[in-house]
Amino acid sequence: MASTLNFTAYLIYLPIVIFLTWYVAHTLFKNSKVFMHDIFNGKTDIALATNKLFETGFYLINLGFAFWVMEITHGILDNRDMLETLSAKIGGYCISLGLMLFFNLYLFFRGRRKAKARFAPLSTVPKIEG
Amino acid sequence: MNTLAYIIYLLITYLITVRVGLVFFRNGRIFILGLLKDDVSLTDAINRILLIGYYLVNLGYAALMISTWNTIHSWMELYLSITVMTGKIVMTLAVMHYINMLVIYFISKRNRTILQP
Repeated sequence: MASTLNFTAYLIYLPIVIFLTWYVAHTLFKNSKVFMHDIFNGKTDIALATNKLFETGFYLINLGFAFWVMEITHGILDNRDMLETLSAKIGGYCISLGLMLFFNLYLFFRGRRKAKARFAPLSTVPKIEG
Repeated sequence: MNTLAYIIYLLITYLITVRVGLVFFRNGRIFILGLLKDDVSLTDAINRILLIGYYLVNLGYAALMISTWNTIHSWMELYLSITVMTGKIVMTLAVMHYINMLVIYFISKRNRTILQP
């Protein structure tokens, strides 16, 4: 009986994490185009290429991690145990996803700041009077 | 049971590798183009060679991992081991991808041809 409930837990876990990852990545990288536009100073083709590469990397690392930690080592005996184990797993995965999201956001903000510092200085030179 | 697992695993890995490879192939071209100062024919050649190398490394690694597989007794173990092994491959892929992006970033930072107008 033990193996049956473990299997159910895996069957529930996998679609949920895939959907979560898709939703977060979709939202993040739809909105990151604005940052990329700023970072590459309006060069659309290279901005979109970088965006796509970051998106692929985000999917790869998060889905890989989710698949990798799927194993539940103890035998699940009843429904209550299954719910508790599943919520701990999915909650832990959500936290790791959130950390990755904030890390990506940090990278975007940092890139934007650096790009501004590089492209802007000429316009801020003070006028010499007299 | 193990044979079935290997077939499903190789199918999934093949699909992921080829899809991701094509994404890298299309979007990485512009970076090489910037690094080589707009030499189109050389860029396309290098890009194609990189794609082939990527396929070789990944599919070879995926096939190599099969030798570490446990014996499978039930459907649950089949499902679990396929997912965990795919997860390992995908994580490796991700780490390689991030290393590549860092390399591109450092090269372009060094010669400043791609980010500077």
